[in-house]
Amino acid sequence: MKIVGVCACTVGIAHTYIAQEKLEKAAKNAGCEAKFETQGSIGKENALTAEEIDAADIVILAIDIKIADTERFKGKKTIQVSTDVAIKSPNKLIEKAIQVVEAAK
Amino acid sequence: MEFTEVLDKKTIVTHLNVNNKAEALDAMTEMFLKTGVVSDKQEYIKDVYIREEIGETGIGDYIAIPHGKSKAVVTPGVAIAVLDHEIEWESLDGKGAKVIILFAVGADNDAAQEHLKLLAMFSKRLGDQAVINKLIEADTAEDVVQAFTEEESISENQPNGEEELDLDEISIM
Repeated sequence: MKIVGVCACTVGIAHTYIAQEKLEKAAKNAGCEAKFETQGSIGKENALTAEEIDAADIVILAIDIKIADTERFKGKKTIQVSTDVAIKSPNKLIEKAIQVVEAAK
Repeated sequence: MEFTEVLDKKTIVTHLNVNNKAEALDAMTEMFLKTGVVSDKQEYIKDVYIREEIGETGIGDYIAIPHGKSKAVVTPGVAIAVLDHEIEWESLDGKGAKVIILFAVGADNDAAQEHLKLLAMFSKRLGDQAVINKLIEADTAEDVVQAFTEEESISENQPNGEEELDLDEISIM
């Protein structure tokens, strides 16, 4: 399964990147391919390409603020949570994402 | 530049004996003041508390990451305190803090992009459970630096008593 997503917190210096790392690791543990873009104080890093978004089964937005370029995800199955949830329960969140994808099949 | 460059042993302390958040922030900001990271202690601490009011900065497993954007910051930096005993801290898992990682970020980010990039890479390492485990056990400033610089482990981030998701916290579209 392929997952893409965006992480963004209020100050854009800590939670954003911790959430990214936790979600990428949790996805890997669950056998998923995952890439998470960060929108923080240094701007966009690890930016998602149109192809990656297109190929993804699901989008996970772990965000506390309005993010840029949400129209890219239009029509995609999307899960939105706060960065807190992503940091607190990354494995459970990935599990949920897999369930949502399976249920839609 | 390597992200470990943000780690300055002069802003790392182990076996810090404090009783609460205010004492911890005071001691850590003092290190920032001495190393020229911040120019005004009271103003910086005030800005850290502004961020504290937005939401919990305890990220779970006894780690707290207070941070604030402040005009009092001269150059971005990070201070780390490993405490002798747990203190109360608002956190995602209800646990207090044993390790505090205090970020200092200037109000004008454009001036310090390179430094902020390093801080971001540093933050990322805090998502690695193996780093967290080593930090809590750190006895010296050298141990703290090593926790971040050691090779990434493979068995990291195993679910350790993770909370069930609260469905109110998720929106599915």
